[in-house]
Amino acid sequence: MTKLTRRQALSATVAFGGVSMAGGLLGSPRPAAASTEITAVEWGGDVVDAMKQIEAKQNQVKVNWVLHQGGSGAILPKIKASWPHPEYDYVSGWEGSFNGMVKEDWLVPVTTQTVPNLADIPQKIIVKNGKGEWAAVPRAIGGIYCAYRKDTSPIEIKSIDDLFDTRLKGKICWPGPTQAMMLPLVALALHGGGNENNMEPGWALMKKLAQSGNIGRVGVTDTDFSTSLTSGETSVGYYSEPQLTAVAKSFPVVRLTKQEGVPTFLYQSGFAILKNRPNLEATLAFVNFCISPEMSTLYAEVAGEAPLNVKAKTPDALKHLAFTPQEFDKYVYVPDFNVVLSQQDAWSKRWESEIAPLL
Amino acid sequence: MGRKIDDLFSGLGRVMNGFIICFLIIPLVVTSLMAFDARPYLGPLPPPALSTRWFSKFFSDDYFLRGLGVSLELALISVCLSVCIGVITAVALDRSNSRARELMTSLFLSPLIVPPVVTGFAILIFLSKLGVVNGFARLLCGHLIITIPYTIRATLNGVLGIDKSLTEAALTLGARERHAFWDITFPLARTGILCGGIFAFVVSLDDVAISIMLTDAKTYTLPVALVSSMRANFDLTLAAVSVLLMGLTLALIFVLEKTVGLNQIIGQGTFR
Amino acid sequence: MKRAPSIFFYLPASVVFSVFFWLPLGGLLLESFRPFTPGRIGAVSDAPLTLANYEELLTPSFLEFFMQTLRISLFASLVGLVFSFTLAYWITRRMSPRGRAIAVGFFVSLMFLSVLVRTYALELTFGAAGPFRAILLSFGVYPNSRGYIEVLVAAGLLHYIVPLATLTLLTTIQNVDPRLFDAAQTLGAPGWRAHLSVTLPLCRDGLLAAFLFSFAFSISAFVIPMILGKGRVLFVSNLIYNRFSEIADFPSGAAISAVLFAVSITIVYLTTRYVNRREAG
Repeated sequence: MTKLTRRQALSATVAFGGVSMAGGLLGSPRPAAASTEITAVEWGGDVVDAMKQIEAKQNQVKVNWVLHQGGSGAILPKIKASWPHPEYDYVSGWEGSFNGMVKEDWLVPVTTQTVPNLADIPQKIIVKNGKGEWAAVPRAIGGIYCAYRKDTSPIEIKSIDDLFDTRLKGKICWPGPTQAMMLPLVALALHGGGNENNMEPGWALMKKLAQSGNIGRVGVTDTDFSTSLTSGETSVGYYSEPQLTAVAKSFPVVRLTKQEGVPTFLYQSGFAILKNRPNLEATLAFVNFCISPEMSTLYAEVAGEAPLNVKAKTPDALKHLAFTPQEFDKYVYVPDFNVVLSQQDAWSKRWESEIAPLL
Repeated sequence: MGRKIDDLFSGLGRVMNGFIICFLIIPLVVTSLMAFDARPYLGPLPPPALSTRWFSKFFSDDYFLRGLGVSLELALISVCLSVCIGVITAVALDRSNSRARELMTSLFLSPLIVPPVVTGFAILIFLSKLGVVNGFARLLCGHLIITIPYTIRATLNGVLGIDKSLTEAALTLGARERHAFWDITFPLARTGILCGGIFAFVVSLDDVAISIMLTDAKTYTLPVALVSSMRANFDLTLAAVSVLLMGLTLALIFVLEKTVGLNQIIGQGTFR
Repeated sequence: MKRAPSIFFYLPASVVFSVFFWLPLGGLLLESFRPFTPGRIGAVSDAPLTLANYEELLTPSFLEFFMQTLRISLFASLVGLVFSFTLAYWITRRMSPRGRAIAVGFFVSLMFLSVLVRTYALELTFGAAGPFRAILLSFGVYPNSRGYIEVLVAAGLLHYIVPLATLTLLTTIQNVDPRLFDAAQTLGAPGWRAHLSVTLPLCRDGLLAAFLFSFAFSISAFVIPMILGKGRVLFVSNLIYNRFSEIADFPSGAAISAVLFAVSITIVYLTTRYVNRREAG
């Protein structure tokens, strides 16, 4: 997929996402047999709470909830070990984990015939497999952007250059080589005049940042960042939405999603439907139900990720993730995810050999 | 002169012991504060308000309680099996010549030097090839391999400390080998065996990294349930569970001390 | 003297170790020789064998991670040994039976403190935002400096090692005849020398066991360096963990594990041999 089409897709999404068009038809046109049991892998905390509320609003499918254990990567070796007989009907994930599953050819392709509500999802955002078929069902978007705790940060941050300010010594929590697809590194590259295909300016700035002593902690798990900010250890971060939301629940957080020169990245969360499972029909019907306008709205409110269904309503708390098309072009950078994802291994190894010794 | 140095050393030892005990106790106190912290996040010390919300959260969530059930069952079975295997192996090691013993003790300790995520991954892939997909069976395999090294080494430590002349005297006096083991070796090695058992129990109960790889859709342990229930915010239920576990351990020890006497159970060495 | 054949006694442990440890580890070793294609999950099963995953480890920074892991682990194990021996000796020889029971109870309960919670408690207490910050700064120690973080990681390891090693050493010290020590003193040796030449050699096996437990725990520790090391002081196990995440570069993770295993088992074996040979010599 080209950079341009993806950008247009995302901009369409967020532009329409702010408009309330809720009230569409509920349920699936192809109801499954009464109370089929499916097994689904979801994130813990707010996400599974949201999904349980959605489950309670229908009675065709009963879901056995399994939680991701420490990031969405831990489930991959398990599926690989049991393949071709997976235990799960769908696995929630994002670009980072979909990529591997698509390459391993584990996923059932989806269409508007099998999941009719996909018609209301901007099509260009949908992850495709090698044959160009849709491989996963997106349900919401979150962001990766710069943010800081207003009450503890020694300075107001307005640009990438501010991250190098000496008053921030030890005050930054930076995502480590397995977090946030290393997109904050791409942000540094953009700031230095490069991009995901030309990362040298990014590495140069990353080295400078590491040497400045401003990085107090490198976050390596999902809870690392929020704990570091809530405990007062650090005050500034370039991180992803769920972690920032967790901090924002208790503290004033300034999110620089609309700050020129501080790029914001968007990622999707969604459903990957596995092959070789007995209740495919029921799973597809449930997934379709989940991305209906009303359920998308409910999910956004409880889970704190902006809805993708153009007929759903974006909650006020997620205003920072609603962009007009003009704002989108100005603030959001949509990298070529194929490049970003295929470089993860190389970037993380380079981080270990060049950045980690400087910290 | 020698006396003065002795006094100095003994004084130093006392100061050091006091210092270590403080160092060990402080995190205990902090954990208790964390467990009763009213804030919904991990904040700086001290907490501004206290509550019992994490304890009620633990007891009201079926997900955690089911995990606790699996954890206890798994820990008890692992301990029983690994203590038995540990004792038998320690006896074998005690009887081997020193070259074989050096090699075998090192090999039997080796699962502890492999990062648990690696062990878990390797077992997962191997058992899947064998067709073992049952979560409990997989977890038991994984837990056995990290508990047995402790039981073997701790028991061996107890057995090696025994003066060989005691067993030999018994044998010379006509005791059968089996009796010599049960009447002399076993009672004297009891502290070691018990230590091994405790280490095994604790290791099994607290493991996250191996278990994460080996759980299935319906069988999961308590630490795995606790870790996976958090997505972004640290969940202080974890601290509450630790406080509960330590409280239960203390209560159990207190009851044992009052009924049979703790020294009776942990065993006295030859000279104490 | 008549002895039962020891091969029979080795059987249960050997079977368990072979099936649940050696064979799985062998499978992983094979994986470490497979090439990795970015984006895939692990290696493709019939890919040709290669040494690439080992070759890319031949860098100065990787060596530095290794040395750092070994340095902090050895430091924590040795310090832990000194602390634990002093504690265990004090408990067995200087305490009343009641005091001994209380002490043992304390150390056993301490073992039940989850490693994850224990580590966060240490981070909150001694970390950059903890109550000790002001004291540390007044001593000129900057709580965000690399040196302090290394000490903090070692302290985290020690908090687990000390109870473990103390309980292990209790077993040994109570089997040492205190009359030997008294005899040495009667013959004119000062107490410290009597300990050095009588008590310590007699506790050799216990000290070895305690050291090996501590060292093995430290070298494979993952949560403690992850949280207390702030992603800046990395252990080899943290590098391995990165490869078992979304990146799913299992071959490279397996290769690092193989190197870590080879180095650690050599240290364990040589230490065991050295301590035993001293006994014979």
